[in-house]
Amino acid sequence: MSEVNKKEYKPEAPKVDTRKTEISKFSIIFNKLGIWVIVIMLLILGMIVSKGQFFTASNIQSILEAVALVGMIAPGMFFVVYCGNMNDMGIPSTMALAGMMTVQSINLGFPAAILIGILSGVLIGVINGFMIGKLRANAIIWPLAMNLFISGVIRVVWGGKQLYADKVARDTESAQRAAETFYSISRTYIGGIISLMAIVMLCMMLLAWFIHSKTSFGQKVKIMGTNYEVAKCSGINTVKVTMMVYIFDGICAAIGGIFYAALRKTASYENGTGYDFTALTAVVLGGALLGGGKGSIVGTFGGVIAYGILNNVLSWIGLGTYEKYLVQGLVFLFIVWLNTYSNRKLGKA
Amino acid sequence: MSNGSNKESTVYALDMRSVSKRFPGTLAVDKVDFQVKKGEVHALMGENGAGKSTLMKMLAGLFNDYTGNIYINGEKKELHTPEMAKAAGIGMVYQELSLARRISIYENLLVGRLPKKGIFVDKKKAIEEAKELLARVGLNDTDPTIDVSEISQCDAQLVEIAKVLGNEPSILVLDEPTSALSSEEVHRLYKIVNKLKSEGLAIIYISHHLAEIFEIADMVTVMRDGKKVETFPVSEATPEILVEKMVGKSVKSFYEGHASAVTDEEVLRVEDFTRWGFFHHINFSLKKGEVLAICGLAGSGRTEIARGLVGLDETHGGKVFVHGKEVKFKNMGEAIKGGIGYLTEDRKTVGLALPQTVTDNVLTCVIDKYSKGILFNANKLGDLVDEKINEMSVYPPDRNRLVNSFSGGNQQKVLMAKWLATDVDILILDEPTRGVDVNAKQTIHDVVKTYVRKGNSCILLSSDLPEVVGLADRAVILREGHIIGEIQKEDITENALLIAANGEGEHVSCQK
Repeated sequence: MSEVNKKEYKPEAPKVDTRKTEISKFSIIFNKLGIWVIVIMLLILGMIVSKGQFFTASNIQSILEAVALVGMIAPGMFFVVYCGNMNDMGIPSTMALAGMMTVQSINLGFPAAILIGILSGVLIGVINGFMIGKLRANAIIWPLAMNLFISGVIRVVWGGKQLYADKVARDTESAQRAAETFYSISRTYIGGIISLMAIVMLCMMLLAWFIHSKTSFGQKVKIMGTNYEVAKCSGINTVKVTMMVYIFDGICAAIGGIFYAALRKTASYENGTGYDFTALTAVVLGGALLGGGKGSIVGTFGGVIAYGILNNVLSWIGLGTYEKYLVQGLVFLFIVWLNTYSNRKLGKA
Repeated sequence: MSNGSNKESTVYALDMRSVSKRFPGTLAVDKVDFQVKKGEVHALMGENGAGKSTLMKMLAGLFNDYTGNIYINGEKKELHTPEMAKAAGIGMVYQELSLARRISIYENLLVGRLPKKGIFVDKKKAIEEAKELLARVGLNDTDPTIDVSEISQCDAQLVEIAKVLGNEPSILVLDEPTSALSSEEVHRLYKIVNKLKSEGLAIIYISHHLAEIFEIADMVTVMRDGKKVETFPVSEATPEILVEKMVGKSVKSFYEGHASAVTDEEVLRVEDFTRWGFFHHINFSLKKGEVLAICGLAGSGRTEIARGLVGLDETHGGKVFVHGKEVKFKNMGEAIKGGIGYLTEDRKTVGLALPQTVTDNVLTCVIDKYSKGILFNANKLGDLVDEKINEMSVYPPDRNRLVNSFSGGNQQKVLMAKWLATDVDILILDEPTRGVDVNAKQTIHDVVKTYVRKGNSCILLSSDLPEVVGLADRAVILREGHIIGEIQKEDITENALLIAANGEGEHVSCQK
């Protein structure tokens, strides 16, 4: 045996990794493409159950419209998960506040109202970022408490009332026009086919993809999400990075909230309920690791799309709302298991 | 010797026959035969990544998919869960202690099997049982009702052994038991090991310290690249033979003295540096081209001084001058810009982002430096990464590989490469070679020597005395947060360091 070893380890010969073995091909493919494998499978399934009507313009449009809101919020949620802070349960109240603020300030004109709505999201982002980044508040409990607090503020300030843009607007032509413009943003179709909401969603995904994979900020979030202490000991300004993550998250939620209020034609404290968990589902379906540091925007987009297509396919099949919940739950459980499984097979988890 | 299928007259306490374990992508243990007799201390040696930890984890029942047969006292056993391994008589003492620090010793010792009286714990009986166990490891005078956090590291190590002994194992595995102990404590441990050996236990002893093997072991098995190289009695071995077998080639003697590159130019001066409760009124200076060792026992405040210098911890007083200019770093980022790097001591928790690639890790400290505006493209910096990992001879030299798939030694090299990439001219190295094999150690030492020869300076914090002797140009002695003395290069020996660190000897000039 020792003779064999002597032959293999001549000092001058380059060392060869003799222990390398094969890895299952499927795991590699699934790990690369991730959720898009599921999206393609769902598309094929959709084609079959809808007897070819799946790819009509109106159906695609309705899928995109259905996921547009989640798709606007998911990029923000993605960065929160990616930076190692698990999730942001404060999203619903941020959406609600952004809607309220926009409608309340509609008299200042449409652009100003939108800006004020977005700024209210920025404000919440700054507070969350400061508390979690600087003072190291618990990243799950703090946004949850913040959610409760903000929805309390909304209820007290507006007395629990719902706001309607056309009623808030003064009786001047410009104010009424602003209110109308506000309502129309969720009902505009560019070229008559693709809705403005879907376009906004795609733009935000694109922006998030750019931030994630092309900027120094994205690289810093990656390291911080993997190991906070390592990032700190390597000279990454963790406070600044956390602040920026939450500000981006706040902006995403605010934009989602504004479109939501426009779509429902009302701003109220209960706007946005449940969107925190839906966005998180999309992010996790997209293969992001809840512990942080792993995941991609392409995956998150896939997660959002899969969510929409599955819903659509189930409607084509003709399932009722209750059964839909059941099947959705099962499918999502399966996908998350598949993710874990392929990661394990590749030794990544 | 390697032919395990022969019928032999002696029944081995442990007989592993052509066992293998495959991980995704690698065959970590490849048809290894490994036998240990009763009443024998058997050393298991090999570089990081040689497969010895995997072999021991297999024995501890952590894998349910190993191949090959394991016989314990002649009986074939399946070790597919930790419970099965425990029942088969295997006791594992891991390098990292598995004691709950905030509960009492006796509760730790008898965890999972506390004697009951009705539905209540029979405290009296539990304490008696605990006392018996403690006596077996020579802790006769320790009160089992105090918390584990109140006893020393060495005692905790012994309590850990006692805890494992409580399950009446016939085979005891000690994984790097001395890595956190002082030399005096190591001798205490030897006594216990010898006592247990005379009680008929088969003991498997894993250690990187060659000296320990010659002191304590009867037999030694060397592994390399997942295969067994050879088993032979320690009496037939010399350190050179062992190293050669482990590395696969002969290694030139390490710790040979190096020509000093010290110049007169002062690059760092620390005056009256204080963090209350950790270190007080620290004064020292660092010259260009110098390796300054800060030596002291565990808890002397070495790491805290380093963290204070680079702005990771708050400090309460004193001045720091870099190249003659006073600085006060608020965080690590400012320190790197100011020319000071800090290679942290624990690569797993504060050193490396393990589940990310080598590229990501090597570039961690220089993201801002190589950004264009807000844009950052790691792929374009491939040459820089390759240059640094080649400088450190990271194996395999693949920058797209995840760091957690490297062996410990190579991970440490990646950590070093990360700091070389920053181009700082003062580097603080905190335990740069803890838990790495000889080969990696030598590479790291060579790199440090080259680094200072280029006109940079190092502060070395290390409890590895031969390392300090081999690298340092000067050593300051730290004790309980105060500098109590200084030793010049020509006087640095392991003994001098040890005596001084304990606050005695000629080099101590108590200047509290």
